[in-house]
Amino acid sequence: MTQLEPDIAPDALQKPFTPGDPGNDPALEHYPETVAGPVPLELTDRRTAEFVEEWRNASYNCYSSGHKFCREVCPVMQVTRNESWTPTAFHANVVAMERGELEVADIAADYVNCTQCGACELRCPNTLFTGDFYRFRTRTVDVVKAVRALAVESGVHQEQWRTWNERTNDKTHEPVLGETEISQENVRNWAEGLDIPIGGDTILFVDCEAAFYRTAVPRAVAQILQKAGYEFGLMGEQWCCGGPAAEMGYVDQAKRFARHNLDNWRATGTKRVLVLDPHDYISFTEDYPKYFGAEFDIEVVLVVEVLADLVAQGRLTPTESVEKTITYHDPCRLNKRKGIWEAPRTVLRSIPGLTFHDVDRVTQWSYCSGGGGGLPVEKPELTAAISDKRLGHAAELGVDTLVSACPWSERPLSEAGDRRDIDVVDIHEIFAESLGITVGGSRGDVGDRRCGGGGCGGGGCG
Amino acid sequence: MSYRYSDENTPPPARKASEVAQTTFEHVYEVDPRLMQTHVLQQVFPNWDTLRIMHARHDHLEWMHHHFAHTTISGSELMGDTTT
Amino acid sequence: MTGETELATPTVSTLEHPPTDLIDRVVERLHGVLRPDQILTGKTDRYNRARVPAPFPVHRWRERVPDLAVLPESTEEVAAVVRIANELKCPVVPRDGGTGLTDGAVPLRGGIVVDVKRMNRIHELDLENRTVTVGTGINMLKLNEVLGRHGLIYPDDPASYPCSLVGGRIGTSGWSLIGARYGHTRDLVLSFDFVLPTGEILHVGDGIGRKISKSSSGYQLKHLFMGHQGTLGIATKATLKLYPKPEAELSPFWAFDDYDAAYRFTGALARAGVATFAGAVLFDEWKVAYLRRDDEAYIPQPADVRALTCAVLYGWEDEVRVGGKRLFRIAKEHGARYLGDEISEGDWAARHDRYATPLHGRTKSGQVVPMSWHCEDAAVNYTDVPAVTKAWHEIVADLRRRTDVFDDWGMFAYTSADTGVDYLTEIDVGIWEQRLDDAAWAMWVQAKRDIAAAALAHGGSISACHGSCREGEVDLVPRELGRGFDVMLGVKRMLDPNNIMNPGKYLLDFAYQGDVSAQLDELRGIR
Repeated sequence: MTQLEPDIAPDALQKPFTPGDPGNDPALEHYPETVAGPVPLELTDRRTAEFVEEWRNASYNCYSSGHKFCREVCPVMQVTRNESWTPTAFHANVVAMERGELEVADIAADYVNCTQCGACELRCPNTLFTGDFYRFRTRTVDVVKAVRALAVESGVHQEQWRTWNERTNDKTHEPVLGETEISQENVRNWAEGLDIPIGGDTILFVDCEAAFYRTAVPRAVAQILQKAGYEFGLMGEQWCCGGPAAEMGYVDQAKRFARHNLDNWRATGTKRVLVLDPHDYISFTEDYPKYFGAEFDIEVVLVVEVLADLVAQGRLTPTESVEKTITYHDPCRLNKRKGIWEAPRTVLRSIPGLTFHDVDRVTQWSYCSGGGGGLPVEKPELTAAISDKRLGHAAELGVDTLVSACPWSERPLSEAGDRRDIDVVDIHEIFAESLGITVGGSRGDVGDRRCGGGGCGGGGCG
Repeated sequence: MSYRYSDENTPPPARKASEVAQTTFEHVYEVDPRLMQTHVLQQVFPNWDTLRIMHARHDHLEWMHHHFAHTTISGSELMGDTTT
Repeated sequence: MTGETELATPTVSTLEHPPTDLIDRVVERLHGVLRPDQILTGKTDRYNRARVPAPFPVHRWRERVPDLAVLPESTEEVAAVVRIANELKCPVVPRDGGTGLTDGAVPLRGGIVVDVKRMNRIHELDLENRTVTVGTGINMLKLNEVLGRHGLIYPDDPASYPCSLVGGRIGTSGWSLIGARYGHTRDLVLSFDFVLPTGEILHVGDGIGRKISKSSSGYQLKHLFMGHQGTLGIATKATLKLYPKPEAELSPFWAFDDYDAAYRFTGALARAGVATFAGAVLFDEWKVAYLRRDDEAYIPQPADVRALTCAVLYGWEDEVRVGGKRLFRIAKEHGARYLGDEISEGDWAARHDRYATPLHGRTKSGQVVPMSWHCEDAAVNYTDVPAVTKAWHEIVADLRRRTDVFDDWGMFAYTSADTGVDYLTEIDVGIWEQRLDDAAWAMWVQAKRDIAAAALAHGGSISACHGSCREGEVDLVPRELGRGFDVMLGVKRMLDPNNIMNPGKYLLDFAYQGDVSAQLDELRGIR
């Protein structure tokens, strides 16, 4: 028996072929098409119809596979085990909307349950195995953002998100200090005494959480860069990057903030923006290019990558021994969404005295702090559960310190760490200490308390 | 290392890899774009994303080997020695 | 050959879903045994528990939507839910990973979906007896991440390895890619707690404890409660057999000019009796042509690479080296061309989670279309693999003659056992779900009957792996099982007196319809 010798009248479909090969039997193009396909449905709601038109193919790419390889890496799924809140469901709902089975009001609340960590879309075979081949990958994060935007446009709001974005709109920064109001005048307070100029070719952009809450992070960054002789300034009038508003569905507001920042960079002749926060890095390398296209000619540089370079070049050499046993938390927006995992490890491995129990980046695709995508604003209990799970993994390694590289992860991780007596520090903070820098600033409520009462002035804090 | 819009949106020139595929970066194969013109259109794909996926795939496959066994023996090591 | 499988139209069709007032009473009673967050009645909660990967016309999605879902956290909670359902005569559908390909987890008549995903705890790890006891909602990859730290592995390795759950593996009696070395789910699961359709709790397995691998005391019930596709009840807690995590892996791939040579070589490998041999896979010429569409390992291969064989070995490094050398000697004798380390290692690592992706789909002229993947499988003896392969491709070619809704993604034959006696044969069929209308669906259902009939005509089983309770194939189950199917009906009637447990599956409604011998004879082709 051979496959090439069929015993009935041969035709072009009886032997194997690769469709699209110009050498194929021309008869292949001429078989009749006897199936018409189901009649498409006319959707009455204009916004929904436009939304479905834009996202149907992306969602079908998931729906038609139904593999669900996303499920066990999804941080929300891991703590809720509720299939309604899986990436698969987020795509299937779009298909159901196309069929008129579901409306935006039916689905909006489910889409709160996502940190936009990107694990699902990376782990999806449609991305991991064929995304680059087809230039077509799973876009769960974009779909979640688009559904949230559709909900907002349709007047379906999540109350905490609405308030959060109203307050951000009022004060041009996120209300990260709770009842204490933020103000534009205070956005550079973290830099007190560091003598950093305003504007210039390169500026350091500091996210709301770091600028107002975990101020030790930007202080560490600024002082490390100064020590290396790396020239930079602060932004003329920095507003929130707009990313959180975009993540929660308040798209117009996000675009207004983005426009302000871009115009302000132009006004100070800025060509390069240094970013210490992974969330900002996503805003500037994904949202801003979408808003502005080729007009967005600003170079965006991640601080931790600069530091890894400076270490490799011998321009920064840590000498102070830091006697800690650590593991590193790969921030989702670096590791999963950008593939940046090596630079932070280069920085950590340069620090003398550290005992580093590393967990590989692929295992960490299923780790998350729960701090992203607006989840802690609307469902803080899920954020806490996700952070607790992350600290559980750290505790199994017998470490005393979890190092992160994302200010937004550090607040929930610190709270979870406190319950297990594990310190949570930022990579820039610990690196600054090893360079002999007295960092100053705040490490957040938990961090300051664990340091022995507020304002970590001492280099050996923690 | 750093992001610039113009760099990210200019992939290397494609070379033909087969009758239905081409290649751009090292280790990156892509569908012949003429096959995605009717039913599914390609997405805007910055270079960083192509490379991120390719590297992640390699890391994932490596991870899978270690997940199932401590070491991987290469066939080429055994091939030369098939007499015993 | 298509259309030859003429069968009586099945007498069991979709019945009415439960009336609203019944569902209201069920929900009210459930609030007495579960917390509110464990009872889901929202539209998205229900729509997203109606689906599995196997394609189904999207415009008929609504038919399969359950009335509610529950998320129990213990055996006792499952039992309490089932008792209420049995008392009120409301359908119950167990759902684990929902990754199956024969619709076991799909509600056909609404009712309560019992979603076990929250039961994913590791209850006990016994390092001395080498067992682990887990909730059935746990996934194998996540379990093995924990076991790996103890140098152990639970080697149940389906294509859905990163997402399917232990309970679903029990309910479908799953097949494992490396089963020739370690056995399949039925060999690896020692025992389990099981909730019967009446809500009674049964411990299934050998011996009075949880950890006996072989007894000869009484009827051997374990197999009965595996592979029933949720029609006999719900597994809630399982004790699994553990192995040392392999020290070494070897996964050589070889190329051939044609299918016949690869087929002969595959048989020789499987018959070689190498102890570390965990399986061989035969890729036929259609599969290789398919891989040339978009698989980076095969795009640059020369045109004379038309069929492939891979083998995989696991064990201690010294054992694997010796066994591997033997396989390479056989390869030399068969003129097999080694594909190199990079492809061999990369391709094998991708086989643990290689569900096809939609953009593999093509029209005949080559345009990319998003297709759903469907894999039709059978268990066939080695000597019958080529004939079944040929028959199946012809069935799919006939679908393609009529429409671009269907695409042939080639076939694999995998060793099931360590001796090479039988193979899981599978044909991967792309189905353009967005365009799957009633006419195309009817063509597909008939094709499934024909595919199943071909396997039976060659002395095989309709399924080695997925189960056979989906529309089309299920009509041939009475033919395959013969009198055994009547026994199935008797067992179903005895254990599930009210037909509440996953009703409508496997033609088991016959169990409640008196004398059905005439209908069964008709399905069996005896007139």
